[in-house]
Amino acid sequence: MSVYDKVLVISKQYLGPAAEKFIQRQCKHIKTEPTMLTATHLEQLAWSSKNAAGLYMDESKAAELAQKIMSLK
Amino acid sequence: MRPTIKNKLVGGFSGVLLLMGIVAAIGVWSVLSLRRSALETARVGDRLNAISLEIQVHNLEAQRLATRYMLEVKKMGAQKAREQYLDEADFEVHEIESLAARAALIAPSKEKQDSFQRITESANEYAQALDAAAKAAESDSSGAAATAYEGTAERLHEAAEDGEMAGREASQSSQAAIERTSKRSVPLVVGVSLLGLLLALAACIILARAILIPVEHLREVAEKVSLGDLNISVRRYSNDEIGDLADSFSRMVTAVKFFRSEAQSAEDEQAAMPEVRR
Repeated sequence: MSVYDKVLVISKQYLGPAAEKFIQRQCKHIKTEPTMLTATHLEQLAWSSKNAAGLYMDESKAAELAQKIMSLK
Repeated sequence: MRPTIKNKLVGGFSGVLLLMGIVAAIGVWSVLSLRRSALETARVGDRLNAISLEIQVHNLEAQRLATRYMLEVKKMGAQKAREQYLDEADFEVHEIESLAARAALIAPSKEKQDSFQRITESANEYAQALDAAAKAAESDSSGAAATAYEGTAERLHEAAEDGEMAGREASQSSQAAIERTSKRSVPLVVGVSLLGLLLALAACIILARAILIPVEHLREVAEKVSLGDLNISVRRYSNDEIGDLADSFSRMVTAVKFFRSEAQSAEDEQAAMPEVRR
């Protein structure tokens, strides 16, 4: 299972059908391709996801999502 | 075990059933113990009454036989009169002693025990006085012994009457005790039933609240979303099926917000494009 797939599984718990598009958007923000996502990108991806997800859900849930992405490291 | 709705309902209703069972068992036990106590009281009262009457019968019979002996001893001869009357009188006195001892054992109060104890003592004295009076009658010197016999016979008679009264009182007081017991059982049974009802009611309210509050919250959230208000927060009240439903709902609202925002961005971009072309 690639890093992207793992991140997607976690994100689906919070964003449901929007997870794929959301993560692709965050990958674009950190200037990488989803398929090229590695453990080194996780910190940046978590930070970006936290900020973006905060627009659609509770801050606490967004922080939880970021924490879970970070835990993949 | 996860506290699912099914587990909550099974646990809650099992608890209520168990509670009702315990309350019913307490109620049945209380009523049975009251009934047992009333029956025991009635049994003792009736038994004492019967014994005291029996003592009185034996007493009258003993004194009748003793009188007959005194009258017949000269005509029949000592040996025959003893066999016919005195031995029978002795038997009656012995019966009085054993009945009085038995009554003293089951008597419910000290006063009644003393009453029957006095019968035993009087019967004992009577037996001795009768023996002395019989010997005196046989040897034609009955003066003092006959007087002593009369005295003890009188005392035994009085003691037997006291015993009869004690027996009657015991029977009457047992009826009063039964009435008291039956009066006491009414508030007891009502109290235990009310307690059971209150506990069952409290358990039902707790159970209903545990299910209804999260469902009501989800209903309100769904109502807002259906009216286009996506600025809502979905709370997870419990770690059960309703909690899972809240999570699914929250995910759905988040996805709708995201897609709406995406659509808005795309629309803005499209609106900006002709201006660029121009």
